[in-house]
Amino acid sequence: MADKYKEYLAAQVLNDSQVVTYRALSRALKVHVNLAKQMLYDFHQKQNARKPGSVHATYLLTGKKHPNTSQHASGMLSQDGEDSSMQSAPFMSSIPEPESPTETISVTSIILVKEEDLEKIKAQLEEVTSIHIYSLEPGPLEIIHLLSVCNQEIARKYAHEDPLENWKTYGTIHNPNVKRRTTRVPAPPVASIALATTSKATPRSDGAVKIKEDAILSKARRGSESEGSRSGRSTPQGEPTIGAAKKLTAKSTLKRDSSDIFKSFAKAKAKPKEATPTTDSAEQSAQEDQPMKDVSEDEYEEDYTPEVEISKEKSDAARKARAEREEKLRQMMEDAEDVPMDDAPVEAEEEPPSAPLDKQPQPQEVDEPEAVVTVAGGRRRGRRRVTKKKTVKDEEGYLVTKEEQVWESFSEDEPEPKKPKTSAIASATSKGKKGAKAGQGNIMSFFTKK
Amino acid sequence: MAIKDGNLLCMPSTKEIPTLTRINSFYNPLHTFDLPKGTEKHYQQQYADMYFLRLAMLKPAVEQKAEEAWRDFEIAGEKARRVDRVLDVRQGELCWVVGTVYMEMSLKPNILDDISKEHWISAPPAREKYISPGGDDEIMLEDESGRLRITGDFLSTTSYVTGCVIAALGTENADGSFKVIATELADLPRQPGRWERDEGQLALSSKKVKQEKPKTGKIAIVSGLEISGVSGDTILLDLLVEYLLGESLGGVEQAETGKITRLIIAGGSLAHSSPIPSREELAAKKGHKKYGYDSSAYDAAPTDHLDLLLSTLLPQLPITILPGASDPANVAIPQQPLHPALFPQSRSYANPPAQSKDQPGAFDSVTNPWEGDVDGWRLLGTGGQTVTDVLKYVEDDNVLDVMEAMLRWRCIAPTAPDTLWCYPFQDDDPLLIKDCPHIYFAGNQPQFDSRVAEGPSGQEVLLLSVPKFSESGKLVLVDSETLKVECKQFETPENAGELL
Repeated sequence: MADKYKEYLAAQVLNDSQVVTYRALSRALKVHVNLAKQMLYDFHQKQNARKPGSVHATYLLTGKKHPNTSQHASGMLSQDGEDSSMQSAPFMSSIPEPESPTETISVTSIILVKEEDLEKIKAQLEEVTSIHIYSLEPGPLEIIHLLSVCNQEIARKYAHEDPLENWKTYGTIHNPNVKRRTTRVPAPPVASIALATTSKATPRSDGAVKIKEDAILSKARRGSESEGSRSGRSTPQGEPTIGAAKKLTAKSTLKRDSSDIFKSFAKAKAKPKEATPTTDSAEQSAQEDQPMKDVSEDEYEEDYTPEVEISKEKSDAARKARAEREEKLRQMMEDAEDVPMDDAPVEAEEEPPSAPLDKQPQPQEVDEPEAVVTVAGGRRRGRRRVTKKKTVKDEEGYLVTKEEQVWESFSEDEPEPKKPKTSAIASATSKGKKGAKAGQGNIMSFFTKK
Repeated sequence: MAIKDGNLLCMPSTKEIPTLTRINSFYNPLHTFDLPKGTEKHYQQQYADMYFLRLAMLKPAVEQKAEEAWRDFEIAGEKARRVDRVLDVRQGELCWVVGTVYMEMSLKPNILDDISKEHWISAPPAREKYISPGGDDEIMLEDESGRLRITGDFLSTTSYVTGCVIAALGTENADGSFKVIATELADLPRQPGRWERDEGQLALSSKKVKQEKPKTGKIAIVSGLEISGVSGDTILLDLLVEYLLGESLGGVEQAETGKITRLIIAGGSLAHSSPIPSREELAAKKGHKKYGYDSSAYDAAPTDHLDLLLSTLLPQLPITILPGASDPANVAIPQQPLHPALFPQSRSYANPPAQSKDQPGAFDSVTNPWEGDVDGWRLLGTGGQTVTDVLKYVEDDNVLDVMEAMLRWRCIAPTAPDTLWCYPFQDDDPLLIKDCPHIYFAGNQPQFDSRVAEGPSGQEVLLLSVPKFSESGKLVLVDSETLKVECKQFETPENAGELL
């Protein structure tokens, strides 16, 4: 233990040139924060004795400033030094103005100081009531903001720790009166709560709202993204909950570290619905339904609300293919926004089938006049007649939209065969690959120009 | 340069470090400013009702004060007579009358101007002050019967704003204006005793009222965190969080932190989140359609940061959060609580919405203005809009003067609905002060200041002007035992530039 912190600090500060704050050290070694402060001091002393200037420190000190530094006796130590109380018409003349009490308001300064300014600041203070090393870094800090980056890292790394328990370890002030609602387990913050450019995401702790990676794409393309369509039927989903969730989802979506999110979901969620996809991947599902959902890689989708039980049929397509497909797709989204959306051809037998049946990007299916349904082997399959809109360019270059009635076959899963979530990813991947052969048109075929 | 045990510049010690335990916060919020929910909330009412209501409710109090003051008032053998309505004032007669002040100011925004003129150029920036430099502003006294222009040198000695109810003593001149020689106002209402409401509730539930009062700690008030999502402003927030958690500092200072029982955030938590753009605005703003995530439409970074900050503090420190002018709440006061959806992490410390009226959890998202009992004291606080708006009417910039005046007018937002947006209250006006608070704070003010205002029957109100944390780095602490105020100032090498 005694040497552990030296090792840690040497590795972090000297080798990796990282900034280490006392909080980071305390979290890393699971020691009391005050002890961590002392460790920093010890390391700082010893290193600089060995090689002066090798470690730079930032101090946090507390004290009252000399009265002459704080201009106003009443404690109005205004930042820009401007005087405040301009005497002018008092508000109530009928009331004798109570003499404002002359007692001084004690202003304690808590100052973060770089090593080189330490003595200067100390001289300004009447009394230093507390001093400790805030952080160690390999050289003078150019940007003080680096320290908060370090703090964000703490928030991210140790998010899974129960904040109601860790006071014992770190010595934060314990409050026995604070209770947390236990009805729902809040998801730990996925805390790339970085600023400005850095993106981040906080998974909703609520079961009702899940963040989906692919919402980036799906949001953009679909006005109403119908989430987890009910097996095979291509009715647009109208649940209000979904609508609401969708809004949030779309908003909260950022480019994010998928692994982070992945991790947090895995922890927070009872059931990532991953097992089901495999079941139907081999199955020929409604042809014109495009794989909107799985364009993004690495991310499996969460079901929305536990109460809205949607048996989602999903599949994971071949992962290899995905990366490049997605890339292509993105390009396309950017370049060719107004490609007339034609019918997806029913070709593409070799393409992976895809998950939720989404209606929106499709040529509108107006109705399902009739359908022949057979139930076989746990699946319902059949043919139905649908009216589709087909837009073609005629000889003069006009776009002509025609309505055509087309027979198509469809199938849907029985809702029961749901597998538990474990080993979801692995199995999904492998099976997804297999299923990829047999499936229907993928998203690319949909977007290619005819 | 005496450093006691706060010096942590020493070798790692092996001795056990005692853990600190925070003192319990006695918290009993009121729901005075909650608006009706859903379909009960209407906006068809006329604002005239508010003025009518305000006058009707404050008139008895003002009349009583005036009666006491001017009962035997005589000039040249003529006794001052009370007149019921402002239009009943007769020329040359010494009398007094109660009415609502209306300030006719040419620089004040006027809805009729906006409608009658067609503006083809972009609107000028909002005015700092409504006072016209030439001094051609007029003051009127109005009631349900009509308006009376009031003049006189006396008026220049005090400041008035639209909406405050006063009694004016004087005579009507030949030109029809009422020359005022003195005014009276309602002054501070009754102040409940400390623990009064808590004891009352205990008595109602037929429990024994404990004679011995629990030990209380300190209330921390901060405002204007102004989390913007732009880098550079966060280290100050980190220092604040570490201080409140009791992680930074050492020795006595650390122990002192354990006395803080509750943090009140008086508005301005997010920097640029209000007004919330409507769907149409967003659509119009987007010049071209862009696929994928568009960060110009919505940036979740500041909200997430705020949520993280709160959820870090909450396990150790109960928090009451008021919305402010820049927060994503409704713009018209009373602003309703910030929606729990903004706080995915923190809300697990709050009551579920269905039980919002019960004893609240550690996290309480409340209205602005807000009142409630903390450690037995009645607190009344705002996010600062009311004060900022009143300041536009007066030359004086002293926040505490304005706050005190508002208490004496018994109206937290006299300038609503004239220049401050406000819900059209119909039957009851919660913006009128019925109980005098012990602590009255306003957030997002230019600087920190405090003062005790005294009322005619011994009321004492601690007035606190809480500065923006993002600008000043100041946290205000009020001792619940002594009501003594202290201030913590957080400085970093960057923001302390001027002080070095």
